[in-house]
Amino acid sequence: MSERTGKQLSKEEKDARFEAELLPVLDPLYNFAYRLTLDEDDANDLVQETYLKAYRFFDYFEQGTNAKAWLFRILKNSFINEFRKKSKQPAKVDYSEVEGYYNSEDVEGESGVATTTDMRTESVQDLIGDEVASALNALPVDFRTVIILCDLEGFTYEEMAKILDIPIGTVRSRLHRARNSLKEKLEKYAKSMGYNNNEI
Amino acid sequence: MESKITEVYQNAPVEGKETECEKVSKLLDLVIDGEATSEDQHYFNHHIEDCVTCFESHQKQKLLKGLVSGHLKRVIVPESLALSIKAKIQKTL
Repeated sequence: MSERTGKQLSKEEKDARFEAELLPVLDPLYNFAYRLTLDEDDANDLVQETYLKAYRFFDYFEQGTNAKAWLFRILKNSFINEFRKKSKQPAKVDYSEVEGYYNSEDVEGESGVATTTDMRTESVQDLIGDEVASALNALPVDFRTVIILCDLEGFTYEEMAKILDIPIGTVRSRLHRARNSLKEKLEKYAKSMGYNNNEI
Repeated sequence: MESKITEVYQNAPVEGKETECEKVSKLLDLVIDGEATSEDQHYFNHHIEDCVTCFESHQKQKLLKGLVSGHLKRVIVPESLALSIKAKIQKTL
């Protein structure tokens, strides 16, 4: 792998560097963890585990390189390898296992769209945000992941390929299918709200 | 003196036009995500100037991306999290 960062740093120096380089990523990392686990406590645990792993492997981190992508990769792997087993969420099939013959039409059932929300107490912005969140949460985790990485966190396809350990071509096709599923869910919502001309 | 729009609609199903639309539809995500080469981007822009269908697909896809990037609420990181990470790291050798 990459070369070690020269001389051994003292623990204080290492800790200071670690905090300066990696803690600024805490906010996006926690949000990513939350979108994967859909649970605040689980997100908390997952993020802590990620930082501890990052600390153990910090000597291999090349200073000034993409700390955010590095941490996201560690978190994604932790989620797959350990966390998902013990997660409270019912186990979902990893999309990559069925890629190729997965039929994007039979995504899980309707997400129970709320049509009775009081427009006076909740702003339209909140409503849209809630609906986007519930449509996104209803997607299989691999679909959700690429949308978060691309549209929310602004990673490039190349960075996503590294974070997810898949070829760029797979990033593209997965993103495409994920967007189609999301679109389908949001169109149902739009129709239920009276927009029946495929506005979304 | 037919409007340009009508003319475009009438031309849409013409042979050959189809493959151009297919090519543009494959470029759609790349364009939306800023991953298209400048050559592809140019081809795409040129096509949607004349093709209403592809223009609309582009608008929809941009809207969809905007819904996620602009409307999905971020969760607030618990204040204790950074502290507890720092504390654990200090204990780690």
